[in-house]
Amino acid sequence: MNKKNLIDELKLTFADIQVNEDENGMIKIHAKKEQVKTILRYLKGNGYDHLALVSCVDWINKKEFELIYILTSYLNDNKSYQEKGDVYLKIRVTRGGPEVETVIGVFENAEPYEREIHELFGINFRGHPRLIPLFLEREYDVPPFRKDFDTRKYVEDFFNSIPVIPEEKT
Amino acid sequence: MDRKVIRKWLKDPEKMGNKYSLWAVYFCTGCGIIEVPPVITSRWDAERFGVIPVASPRQANLFLITGYVSLKTLRAIIRTYEQMQEPKYTVGFGSCPINGGMYWDSYNTIKKLDKYIPIDGWIAGCMPRPEAIFVAVTHLWTLIDKGMANAYKKYRKQYKYYRKNQEMALGKLEWPPLYPIN
Repeated sequence: MNKKNLIDELKLTFADIQVNEDENGMIKIHAKKEQVKTILRYLKGNGYDHLALVSCVDWINKKEFELIYILTSYLNDNKSYQEKGDVYLKIRVTRGGPEVETVIGVFENAEPYEREIHELFGINFRGHPRLIPLFLEREYDVPPFRKDFDTRKYVEDFFNSIPVIPEEKT
Repeated sequence: MDRKVIRKWLKDPEKMGNKYSLWAVYFCTGCGIIEVPPVITSRWDAERFGVIPVASPRQANLFLITGYVSLKTLRAIIRTYEQMQEPKYTVGFGSCPINGGMYWDSYNTIKKLDKYIPIDGWIAGCMPRPEAIFVAVTHLWTLIDKGMANAYKKYRKQYKYYRKNQEMALGKLEWPPLYPIN
């Protein structure tokens, strides 16, 4: 299936999503958060067999998180980047008590990405088997990648409060 | 060999032996480790100065901390340092162990390494050139000669303060204290 057909089919299959091609020739999909799993399953059935990345952006002024799923295809590997048309799927989640359904059932490699986003942005992934800490050693009141996490205050409060070792008396 | 040197060897063979065979732990912390492979291979050849990288901390007595130290790395650094045999010398390499460097306002990078383990000397710069390692090594020779490279003795004496700081940063440590805390 080529790119044009795919865009048309996506528009037909799913009712309230926006699909368009961006200036780099990639397909950009804006959808609702309930639709993630069905759209990803549909795309997987159409040759997009690799979930390259799950990323997150904190839009603090709009009081929203944006989750981005990037899909590529190994089947069309002989084609150029533009021809292939990698897919961006973007969804918005509200900042207060953010919760999304996990996509591990569709792409198994989403597990560490979702754990990382849970740890650094505090988004809860419903159905994730183990949302345990991945990178961080300490517990933070606000997840540290959120825009309202005050790094300078944290450094003042924590790192600078640790005392210097006293010089030994001779 | 110079006659002066012979006298030094006879006077204090242990010190001279320590001085000219600094075995460095091959421990990679942050980006500074990129300077170490050219240092130990043919271009700069650290073996001229008696510096050899060694995989095990139990055979090493020089610890180069090359680059920024995150909290997770700090745990490994403390464990590695405590496993090394005395006399042991530590050198902080690059700006980040000194005061955080470009990570001065990071949530997860520790700022002053000498609050957690003792440091004999620092190499400033981001990145320091490989030659800076040799400057540091020759400097360390002078310090050993004068009996001033005493960081490991300070660690033994002030251990309760170090351990307290380490526990403040990392929470409860899963290994017992190296020296008695009273």
